[in-house]
Amino acid sequence: MTTVGSRTPRFVQVSAALGVVFLALPVVGLLRRVSWLTLWDQLTQSSSRDALRISLYASLSATLLALIIGLPLAWCLARMQFRLRRVVRALVLLPMVIPPVVGGVALLGVYGKTNGLLGGVLDSLFGIQLTYSIWGVIIAEAFVAMPFLVLALEGGLRSINTRYEEAAAVMGASDFARFRRVVLPMLRPSLVAGLMLAWARALGEFGATITFAGNIEGRTQTTPLAVYTMLESNHEGAYALSFLLVAVCVAVLIGLRDKWIGGISR
Amino acid sequence: MISLHGTVVAGEFSRSFDLEIGHEIVGVVGQNGTGKTSLLRTIAGLSALGSGLLSLNDVMTDCPAERFFVLPELRNIGMVFQDHALMPFLSAVDNAALPLVVRGMKRSEARKLALELLEQFGVADVAQQMAPTLSGGQSQRVAIARALIGNPSVVLLDEPLSAIDEGSRNDVRLCIREHLNRLGVSALVVSHDFADIDQICTRIENYTR
Repeated sequence: MTTVGSRTPRFVQVSAALGVVFLALPVVGLLRRVSWLTLWDQLTQSSSRDALRISLYASLSATLLALIIGLPLAWCLARMQFRLRRVVRALVLLPMVIPPVVGGVALLGVYGKTNGLLGGVLDSLFGIQLTYSIWGVIIAEAFVAMPFLVLALEGGLRSINTRYEEAAAVMGASDFARFRRVVLPMLRPSLVAGLMLAWARALGEFGATITFAGNIEGRTQTTPLAVYTMLESNHEGAYALSFLLVAVCVAVLIGLRDKWIGGISR
Repeated sequence: MISLHGTVVAGEFSRSFDLEIGHEIVGVVGQNGTGKTSLLRTIAGLSALGSGLLSLNDVMTDCPAERFFVLPELRNIGMVFQDHALMPFLSAVDNAALPLVVRGMKRSEARKLALELLEQFGVADVAQQMAPTLSGGQSQRVAIARALIGNPSVVLLDEPLSAIDEGSRNDVRLCIREHLNRLGVSALVVSHDFADIDQICTRIENYTR
């Protein structure tokens, strides 16, 4: 006999089914429009290849950049008590909630060559121009992807009981040895999940990238930007690249099944 | 050698201790809440002394008045924690070998020494098992082996036999005593079981409220 608490009303089940249809239909619509016979040709044409190459390079670099600056940040948020912690956490979440185009505008305000806070200095002193370059793509992607990594790492670090690090310290392990031998193995599931989510977010980034780095074919045009451009002239190519992006994201979700989908379905 | 004259602090709790321990095995008895575990944590460097002076082997180790504190990793201490604190992502043998590995010994060499020690403590048969799959008694024996493997100059044992079954306690007690005598170290043993203290220790410190 089902108890009151475990019984799900029929109208909730119907609404849930509608939700599933709502989420699944766009994928079906996309798959329906993919021209399977010319898929390979579309994916291997030069503009697609360039976009894929730039996307792969920029998203991996952005994920690495997010890791380098995000891990210490997650550590401080998880382990330190400081007055501005709430402000810092809000700052970490900001790129997640603001429209990506606004993120791109904000980045222009900092790194823009003419009116940017630091852009002019970087250009005149070091000859570095971030806007409309691959570096701009990497910065824009890291900006929007970092919150996913920081949140995953912060959660992971919070869940590690510090008694293991205490035990390692008494054994003679230095700060670095404790991190390498104790924290890192225990953090691995959160680290992998955070890296995959951040990478998937960077790979699909559009708004901040087109605003900050532009849409220059062969230089800053990533796959989502190529899809946007191709929609005007080459629908088959746009659907082929879209399919590829969806396939990559599904692969990420499968990779994270124990961490996210498994946890939800239990 | 351990010399502690000062106040041990843990949150709201504080208590003064006057302790001089040579190359001997001292049992610490007392009710719950008398600061026995806090005393061990302070000697290990996991908590700072509230006031006074702690010296290990005639070397000043913790002196709040002089803002002097030696980090736990530099104290050369072997410690068994009450909850064993075995690394859950490592096997029994890798746990026992960890003090040697973190100090730079090759993993294969460290594992060989760890396996020998696990054999002496009767848990060689579970050496390859992951820590979370060990029984309480097996886990505690691995924790004891881990505390002794790095040739520490001070050994701290917090309820080292609480999870070991009555039938094999005597063997483990003798094994601990043999190892502590061989190492010739200063050792502190906290236990609720008087038989543990009686068989392992050479002297007793009694702390009541």
